[in-house]
Amino acid sequence: MDDGDEPPIVLSHNTSLSSKSGGDKMFSLKKWNAVAMWSWDVECDTCAICRVQVMDACLRCQAENKQEDCVVVWGECNHSFHNCCMSLWVKQNNRCPLCQQDWVVQRIGK
Amino acid sequence: MLTLASKLKRDDGGKTGRASGASDSTHRVSIRDRLLTKEVSELEAHLPSTCKASFPDEDKLHHFQLAVSPDEGYYQSGRFQFEIDVPEAYNMVPPKVRCLTRIWHPNITENGEICLSLLREHSIDGTGWAPTRTLKDVVWGLNSLFTDLLNFDDPLNIDAAEHHLRDKEDFRNKVQDYVKHYAR
Ligand SMILES: [Zn+2]
Ligand SMILES: [Zn+2]
Ligand SMILES: [Zn+2]
Repeated sequence: MDDGDEPPIVLSHNTSLSSKSGGDKMFSLKKWNAVAMWSWDVECDTCAICRVQVMDACLRCQAENKQEDCVVVWGECNHSFHNCCMSLWVKQNNRCPLCQQDWVVQRIGK
Repeated sequence: MLTLASKLKRDDGGKTGRASGASDSTHRVSIRDRLLTKEVSELEAHLPSTCKASFPDEDKLHHFQLAVSPDEGYYQSGRFQFEIDVPEAYNMVPPKVRCLTRIWHPNITENGEICLSLLREHSIDGTGWAPTRTLKDVVWGLNSLFTDLLNFDDPLNIDAAEHHLRDKEDFRNKVQDYVKHYAR
């Protein structure tokens, strides 16, 4: 169950990094700092609200045996949480609890 | 002795518990308690040397006391007791904290109310409660109320802050008077 190195997350961060720097050509693998990407990946891999890996079901869904319905939500700030966890929190405060930016959903999925 | 961790494990195995009443509220309790099992062990591993946490009932990690014994500053030689209650809706809401020791402090009233930004449920800036915070942050925050976070500029006990502004030596004497009477 402990498969923390999911390729989709790494890819999504790469695309966002390259689009931020303005260029729309493919990024160069030579510049790819593997160590930095790895630690960034680990940080995003665990839901900072319930502290379970985002690729696993959140603490609530595990307790209620609803693992299949539990999806991941990414904000425009690129932080990811379980959708269940984040939708509880935005009811109180519509900010990303990690970076304090206004919370805008970028995508929801697995 | 039955620890909470082993109790949770046993409940997990039994799924629909025999003694469980309203399933909705027991679920929510168990989310809080699951978070607390991790947070309490993390807290105990990183407790500041000036702090001591005590759990009167090991089955209730959501209720505990913290004693802070500052080793520097105005409050040195005092021992200040805090009571920490973690509501069922944790970690969407912050723990509730009171100071049980009477104290002369700009950020704590004589009735035990505390002004510490991370304990604030609704805040417009990023300093209030967030579910990314843990008990460790709360305890470090309370501990810092006697050093780094001691704040005379935004007081809850205005009399104490004005006293300090007026006469620092007299303020120190009153603090130590309170320590002698209430905080030993
Ligand atoms: Zn979560
Ligand atoms: Zn979920
Ligand atoms: Zn963020």
